[in-house]
Amino acid sequence: MSTDHAPAMTFHPQPRPGTPSPWAFPAPERASLGNGITVLHCHRPGQQLVAVEVLLDVPLAAEPEGLDGVAAILARALNEGTDTLSAEEFAAELERAGATLDAHADHPCIRVSLEVPASRLQRGLSLLADALRAPALPEDEIERLVANRLDEIVHEQANPARRAAKALYAELFDAADRLSRPRSGTADTVKSIDRAAVKAFYDAHVRPATSTVVVVGDLTGTDLPALLESTLGTWTGSAAEASVHAPVTGDDHGRVVIVDRPGSVQTQLLIGRIGPDRHDPVWAAQILGTYCLGGTLTSRLDRVLREEKGYTYGVRSFAQPLRSAADGSGRSLLAISGSVDTASTAPALEDTWKILRLLAAEGLTDAERDEAVQFLVGVAPLKYETAGSVAGTLADQVEQHLADDYQAEVYRQLAELPTAAATEAVVAAFPPDRLVTVLVGDAAAIAEDVRALGIGEVTVVS
Amino acid sequence: MANPAPASSRGIAITEHRLANGLRVVLSEDHLTPVAAVCLWYDVGSRHEVKGRTGLAHLFEHLMFQGSANVSNNGHFELVQGAGGSLNGTTSFERTNYFETMPAHQLELALWLEADRMGSLLVALDETSMENQRDVVKNERRQRYDNVPYGTAFEKLTALSFPDGHPYHHTPIGSMADLDAATLEDARAFFRTYYAPNNAVLSVVGDIDPEQTVAWVEKYFGSIPGHDGKQPPRSGELPATIGRELREPVHEDVPSRALMAAYRLPHDGTREADAADLALTILGSGESSRLYNRLVRRDRTAVAAGFGLLRLAGAPSLGWLDVKTSGDATIAQIDAAVDEELARFAAEGPTAAELERAQAQIEREWLDRLTTVAGRADELCRYAVLFGDPKLLNDALPKVLDVTAEEVQAVAQARLHPDNRAVLVYEPTTADDTDDTDDDTATDASQEGAAV
Repeated sequence: MSTDHAPAMTFHPQPRPGTPSPWAFPAPERASLGNGITVLHCHRPGQQLVAVEVLLDVPLAAEPEGLDGVAAILARALNEGTDTLSAEEFAAELERAGATLDAHADHPCIRVSLEVPASRLQRGLSLLADALRAPALPEDEIERLVANRLDEIVHEQANPARRAAKALYAELFDAADRLSRPRSGTADTVKSIDRAAVKAFYDAHVRPATSTVVVVGDLTGTDLPALLESTLGTWTGSAAEASVHAPVTGDDHGRVVIVDRPGSVQTQLLIGRIGPDRHDPVWAAQILGTYCLGGTLTSRLDRVLREEKGYTYGVRSFAQPLRSAADGSGRSLLAISGSVDTASTAPALEDTWKILRLLAAEGLTDAERDEAVQFLVGVAPLKYETAGSVAGTLADQVEQHLADDYQAEVYRQLAELPTAAATEAVVAAFPPDRLVTVLVGDAAAIAEDVRALGIGEVTVVS
Repeated sequence: MANPAPASSRGIAITEHRLANGLRVVLSEDHLTPVAAVCLWYDVGSRHEVKGRTGLAHLFEHLMFQGSANVSNNGHFELVQGAGGSLNGTTSFERTNYFETMPAHQLELALWLEADRMGSLLVALDETSMENQRDVVKNERRQRYDNVPYGTAFEKLTALSFPDGHPYHHTPIGSMADLDAATLEDARAFFRTYYAPNNAVLSVVGDIDPEQTVAWVEKYFGSIPGHDGKQPPRSGELPATIGRELREPVHEDVPSRALMAAYRLPHDGTREADAADLALTILGSGESSRLYNRLVRRDRTAVAAGFGLLRLAGAPSLGWLDVKTSGDATIAQIDAAVDEELARFAAEGPTAAELERAQAQIEREWLDRLTTVAGRADELCRYAVLFGDPKLLNDALPKVLDVTAEEVQAVAQARLHPDNRAVLVYEPTTADDTDDTDDDTATDASQEGAAV
C-alpha cells in the first residue's frame, strides 16, 4: 500500500517446469505358499522399513448375532501372546525387533499390519506367523480387552467426529445390515464377549487358505519365498471358500439428524449418502469431481466456507469404499465432513447447498479440472514414497477384489478424463435432495435455523 | 549379531552453503524417487511472542499463504498442488516451518514461491486476509482444542510447567482474546522483525542437481536483503528441577478421570535428553513398557497409560505422562502406582533387555522419520536452526545407542520424581454441572505445533 512495503528484492518470472521423470504405480508380483496363502510382494529400493499387510477373510457380517465387536476383540487379541510367549513377552519381543504390529477389524476383513526394519524382517515375520498360527487368546487378557473396549465406547461418545459417524451409519443403512452398527460393537454386545466366543470365531474364520500377505520394502539380499515359507508357511489349516458379501441396503433420502451435544462451541457436520462400488466405471471421474468439490483448501467448499467466510478450519468431501464385490454390487460412502463454529452452522449449510446447486447448474471449469488432474496424478510419487503407503494400497485392492493394476489404471484414466465427465460424476455423487445431514452440536442453538433451511426433515436425538 | 542394526546408521550426504544475505542452505541428494522436498525454517516461534499477542506466530504462518507480490491470494496452494506437489506450514514453540514436496522437475517453482513471500509478503497482506484467517485460526482452535474432551490439557499443563512470564508459558495456538486483539500492524511488524534470509534455513532434499539447486536459490533468494531487526527470545532458562509438585484439579465434562503430568527434563541436544528419552520409552512407550504392564495389564486401573518426550532446546524439555482411568478407578490408585514404578525404576535402573528394546524402538522411529525426503529436509533444518549444524543429524541415532543404563538411571533419579512435575487431575462433571469452564486457553495435543 505504501513505499513502506515496497520490496527491495529482484523479481523473476515464474519458472517453467523441467522434464518430468517417468513414474508408475508399482506392480506387485504374485506367489502362493504351500499352505495356500496368497503373496503379493514389491521391492522398493531404499525403503529400510518393510511393510507387511495381512488380510484375513473375516468380514464383520460373519460375527454371530449379538456379538458385534468379537472381530475387533480377536484382532486386538492377536497381539496378546502365542503358544510360546506370554502377552508381555510377545510385546517385548516385537519391541526388541524395533517392530510394530497392529490389527483392526473392518467390514470386509481383519487387517494385520507389521512394520519392521529390513535387517530384522525374519524376526518380525516369525512373530507375525506365531500370532496368526497360534495366538494364545488368554482369558485374562481378553477380559481386559473387553473392559478396555467398554471404556473406549464412553470416550468415543464424547468425541464429536466419532459420534457423527456413528449416527450417520445408523441413519443411512438398514438396521439388519452390519454396516448400520459400530464396527467394534456397542456396550451391550461387547459385554457378552468372552474367550470362548473369540476362540470359536478364530477357529471358524482364520486360516491360511483364505489369507493374503503383502510385503513391500527394500528386499535386497532377501530370499523372500524361503523366508515366507519358513515363517507364515508353517501355519496350517483347512480349505475354505472365500466369503461373499451381501448387497448393501439403505435409505439416503434427504433429512437432518441433530445429535444434541449441549455447550458445543462448534457443530460437527457429516453429510453423506450411499455411493457406487469402487468397480463402477465412474470411480476415476468421481475422484476427480469430488476433489474439485472438497479435496483441498482451494476446492469449491473451502474456497467459500474457509477462505471467504472463515466458518471452518476445513471441510472435505470424499468417497470411502465400504463393501466391494467383483460384480459391482458393493457400495461406498460419499460424504462431506468438517466442523464450523456454532453460530455459523446454518449459514455454512446454506452455502454448502448453494455450492452444490451451482455445481449442478454450471459444472466444473476446465481450469479446475486441469489443476485437479495435475495434483492427483502428479502427487502420486510422493504419496507412494514409503513402503507402508504402497502396501496399504495393494492391500486395499485385494480387500476390494480389484485387479493388481487398478491404481495404475486409475492414474491413466485421470490423465485423460474430460471436464464434463468429472462434473457429471460429482453432480451424481452429491445431489442436494438426497443427502443425510448429521450435525453434532448444541441443538438448542442450531435446530431452529437449520429447520428454516428446508434441506430435509429435522430430528433431534441425544 | 543378536539384534542386527538397520542400515540407517550409514548417514546421509549433506552439503552446506550460505548466501551473502545470510540465508543458510542445506542440500542432500537422493535419486531413488523423482521427488524433491523444500523445507524452510524461520527461527521464530511462540516463544518470541509478547504478552497480549499469544498465537501471533501461528496466525502469521496462515497469512504466509495469502499471497505476495507475484502470487495471488491462495496462489501458493494452487500453484504447488497444480504442479503435483504437497505443502503446509506449522508453528511450534521454537520455530515456524514451511514445506513443499514436489515432483523433482517442479523444484524451481517451490523455490520461486518461497522466495517471493520471504521478500514481498507485505505487498499483498491486507485487512481482508487478516480478518478471514483470524476466523479460520479461531475455528482451528475450537476444532482441535476447545470442542474435544481433554483438548485443553496441553495448554493447561504447559502453563503450569513454565511460570507466568516464561516464553514457553503459553502454547502456539494462543488465546481467543489475543487472537481477537491482533492487528494488521502487528502482523506487519512481525514480518519485518523475523522474516529475513539471515533468520532462516532452507533445505532441499531428494532427486536434485546440487549445483543447479544452489544457482536457483541464489537467483531467487539472493537479492532479498538481510536485516538485524530480530529480538532474541526471552531466556527460557529454569532451575534443573521444579523443587515441588504443582497440582491443579480440572472439573470438566470429560468421559473419564485422567491424570496428566509434565516432568521437567534436560534440554534437547544434550546427552541427558537422550537418556531421558530412553527412560520414558522404557517406562511408558508401547505395550511392553513398565507403566502399561502395571496400570493397563495388571492393575487394570487405566485404559491407556503412556509417556512421551516433548524435546525443547531453549527451555527444559517436558516428559509427558497421560493416564486415562478405567471404570471406577481413582486418581489416588493411579498416583500410588505411578510413584511406585518411578521410584523402583530410579532405584534399580533399566534391565539390559529393556534398554535394548528402547533403543530398537527409537531406532525404528528414526528410520520412519528419515524414510521420506520431506522428513529428512525437516530434520536437517532442525539441527541447523536449533543446534547450528545440520550434520549433527547423522550423529543423532549413534548418540542414543551409546547411552548407558547408568545414565538412564541417573536421569530418572534426578528428574522423574513427584517434586519435579506439574500435574493435572481431571474429574468428570455431570451434565448439569455447568459452571467453572475455563475457556481462554488451549494447545497442541500432537505436541507438534499448529498446521495451516
